[in-house]
Parts: sequence; structure tokens; C-alpha cells
Amino acid sequence: MGGISELGINWGVLVTQVVTFVILLVLLRVFAYKPLMRMMDERSKRVKDSVEQAEAVKEQSAKAEEELKKQLEQASREGQERITRAVKAGEEVKQKAEEEAKRETEKLIVKARSEIRQERDAAITEVRREFADLTVLAAGKVIEKSLDKEEHRELIDKVLEESSTLKKE
Amino acid sequence: MAEPKKRGLLGCSFPVLIVVAVIVLAIVVIGFLSGSIGQAMFHIDFPSWLVVEKPAIHLAAPEIFNVFGIPITNTILAGWVTVIFLVLFSWLITRRMKLVPGRLQSVFEFLLGWIYNFCESVAGRENGRKFFPVVCTIFLFVAFNAWLSLIPGFGSILINSHGSEHELLRGANTDLNTTLAVAFVSFVFVVYNGLKSIGISWLKQYFNFGPLFRSIGGIFKGKLNFMDIFSGIVNVAVGLLEWLSLFIRNVSFTFRLFGNMTAGEILVLIAAFIFPLAVNWVVYILELFVGFIQALVFAGLTLVFVTMAVSSHEAESHKDLKNSEKEVLKEGI
Repeated sequence: MGGISELGINWGVLVTQVVTFVILLVLLRVFAYKPLMRMMDERSKRVKDSVEQAEAVKEQSAKAEEELKKQLEQASREGQERITRAVKAGEEVKQKAEEEAKRETEKLIVKARSEIRQERDAAITEVRREFADLTVLAAGKVIEKSLDKEEHRELIDKVLEESSTLKKE
Repeated sequence: MAEPKKRGLLGCSFPVLIVVAVIVLAIVVIGFLSGSIGQAMFHIDFPSWLVVEKPAIHLAAPEIFNVFGIPITNTILAGWVTVIFLVLFSWLITRRMKLVPGRLQSVFEFLLGWIYNFCESVAGRENGRKFFPVVCTIFLFVAFNAWLSLIPGFGSILINSHGSEHELLRGANTDLNTTLAVAFVSFVFVVYNGLKSIGISWLKQYFNFGPLFRSIGGIFKGKLNFMDIFSGIVNVAVGLLEWLSLFIRNVSFTFRLFGNMTAGEILVLIAAFIFPLAVNWVVYILELFVGFIQALVFAGLTLVFVTMAVSSHEAESHKDLKNSEKEVLKEGI
């Protein structure tokens, strides 16, 4: 045993060092490794969670965007449709109005024409009656006076003048 | 603004640089003259506090005091200092762990995280987590034993016990008992994990008598097959070789660390004796590095052995691990 004790190997010291090491192991497990592990696990969990969350948010936003796009598209399509419809309706209204106006005008023209004709007929009738009256008058005058040629002429002129004043009225 | 002038060298103005150079030169010259070579050549008398005594090297650690018959050596005390330092340090940091780490916590997490990743990369995810505490403790204990003993004053506090003067503290790694204790822990760790994960058949690689007994049994049944008997004997011999390798592993664990650390200590002493003041800082840098490498080798080999033990029947990984064992050893040498 002389050789080994020369190197300093000693059971008591050996056991003490083993115990020291085991104590260190236990203490470090409590004060270093466990908190560290917990921290590292928590951190990796956090990172994983936040990555997942970010992924979810991204997905959601993509979905929302798509939805929005779809809605916009639909809205624009609807608007277009509505405009087209409105234009068409306006066109129709315009056409109808035009037609109505045309019809109205025609009606008016027809009415005016018939009125004009009536007026003219009435006037002609009046003139005829006047003329007949005048002739009768003139004839009466001729008979009543039986004048010479000169007087005759004067008479006709007078009648004509009278008739013209009548016509004018 | 004119271009700033370049001032002197190394960021000092020339007068400062000259003063520094003179001081360094003086230290080197005084160191050389007061060292053993200078003394032998020039015999200049220096005040006694400048002259380094001839170092006395003891392999055995001296006993400082005695508790219930257990001798407490200065290496045990140094081991306790390491334990207190490590526990206090980790307690201070983990007392208020934050999710977003501060500076000190970052360093702590970096070091331990690095060892953790090492465990994971060698032993796999699940086993790495299981082995991490022991491997990391071995690393920290060995490394800080080495580094703390480099603190100036660590080895120079003297205490009088049993009629002679001894250092109060001496690097725990320079005592065979410490390295043997760590090797023993490593051994128990390996055996425990081997038995736990593979069961009693883990021992088959050490006691492989089965094939031999079967072939001997065959003789009584009238089937005499020399090849079977031969291979049975070979199996038993392989088991013996495994025993030998297990034994040598621990011896090499013990003596590698002890040798490296003791040599480092002696190197510091001798450098201080031959050429005081000027050379030791180089040796110190070397010793910092050696302490780190030895801790890494001890922890790494333990990790490799335990991984081998829990997967000893898978030839493929066995081969891989043999390679990684070689790599770790190469780094250590």
C-alpha cells in the first residue's frame, strides 16, 4: 500500500470528495438545472406559441383579405348591374316620354287642323250668307230707285263699299 | 477640422509608451535576475520577498484538520470553495430568472445551454436531457476547480497544521482522490444507466459464459463441436477484455485529469521559480485553456460512455460513438 499512499490516495478523502460531488450535483440540480430547464422549456414554448399565433393571424388576415376582395368584387358587380339597369330604365322612360309627346303633338295637330277646317267652313258659310244678303239688298235697291246708268254705277260702288266694311268686321 | 493625428503606438502617446516599456523591461530584468538562472549567473542580492523559494512538490495533499477521523485536506477545502462558488453563482442568477435574460443570465444560459446542446447532439433528445445534469456537473466541477485555483492568492495562503506549513487551498484537481471520486461517479452513472435501460442483460458483455456452457452441455448430449467450444472461450475472453477496458477507462479518467492539472500546477511553480514575474501570465493563459479542455474531455467521455451503455447492442451507433470518443480524446490530447 506504500505506493498508493505515496500518490495520496486515501479512503476518507476519496469518500469525502464523492460526497462533495454528489452534494454539488444535488444543489446544482435545484439551483441551476431545474430553473434553467423550466426557463428554456417555457421560452421554447413561448416561441412556438407565438410562431403558431403569428401563423394563425397571417392565415386569418389572408382569409379576411380574400373575403374582402370577394365582397368588393360582388359589390362592384352589383353596382355595375344596378347602373346598367338604371340606364336601361332611364332609356325606357325617355322613350316613353318621347312617344307620349309625339302622340300628344299629333293629337294636337289633328285637333288644330280640324278646328281650322271648321273655322274655314264657318267663314265660308258666313261669307256666302253675307254675299246673298248683299245681292238681295243690291237688287232691292235697284228695284226701288230704277235709276240711270250713272246712278246705277254709284249704287254698286256703295254696296261694294258697304260689303267691304262688312267683310272687314 | 484637420485630420486627427495618429498618436504614438497602441493608442498611447509616445512618452506613456516609453514609460510602460521601461516598466515592463524592468520587470523582466528583475524577474530574470531574481530567478534561479539569474541567481546562478550573477549572484545579485535581492530583498528576501523577491526571491522565490525552491518549490517543494508533494503529490499527496496535506491534511489541514480532522473531522471525526476523516482527514480534511486542502484539496477538499478547495473543492468546497468550488461548490460554494457554483451554487452561490447559480442561485444568484436563477433566483430571479427572466424570460428575456439580462447580461449575467445570458452568460449562464449560454454556458449551460452549450453543454446541453452537446448532450443532445451526442445522446439524442431524450437521453441528452436525462444525462445533462451529471455531465454538466462534471464539467463545471472540473473546470471551476481548475480556474478557481488560478486566482492569485489561491495557493499562497499558508496555514500551520501538524507542525508544518501548508497551503490552505490547493486546486482540487491536483489530488488523485478528487479525480478518482469524479471518475467513480462517472462509472456509477454509466453502470446505472446501462442496467436501467438495457436491464440485467447489459452485464452479458462482461460475463459472456452462455455460449461456452451451451457447447459444453452439447458434449454430454453427444454432440462434440470444437468450433462451438472455441467461440465460447473467445466470448469469455472478450468479456474479460471488456472488464479490462472498463477498468482502464476509469484509471485513464483519473490519471489524465490528475496528470494534466498537477503538471499545470508544477509548471506554474517552476515558471515562478526560474523566471519570476514575467513568464507566468503565459502559463496562466495555457492553464485556463487546459482546464477547459480537461473539463470538456471528462464530461464528454462520460457522456459518450453512458450513451454507449444505453445503446450497447446497436452495432451501428456503437461504431459512431467509438468515433466520437476518439474525437473527444483527440481534442483532449
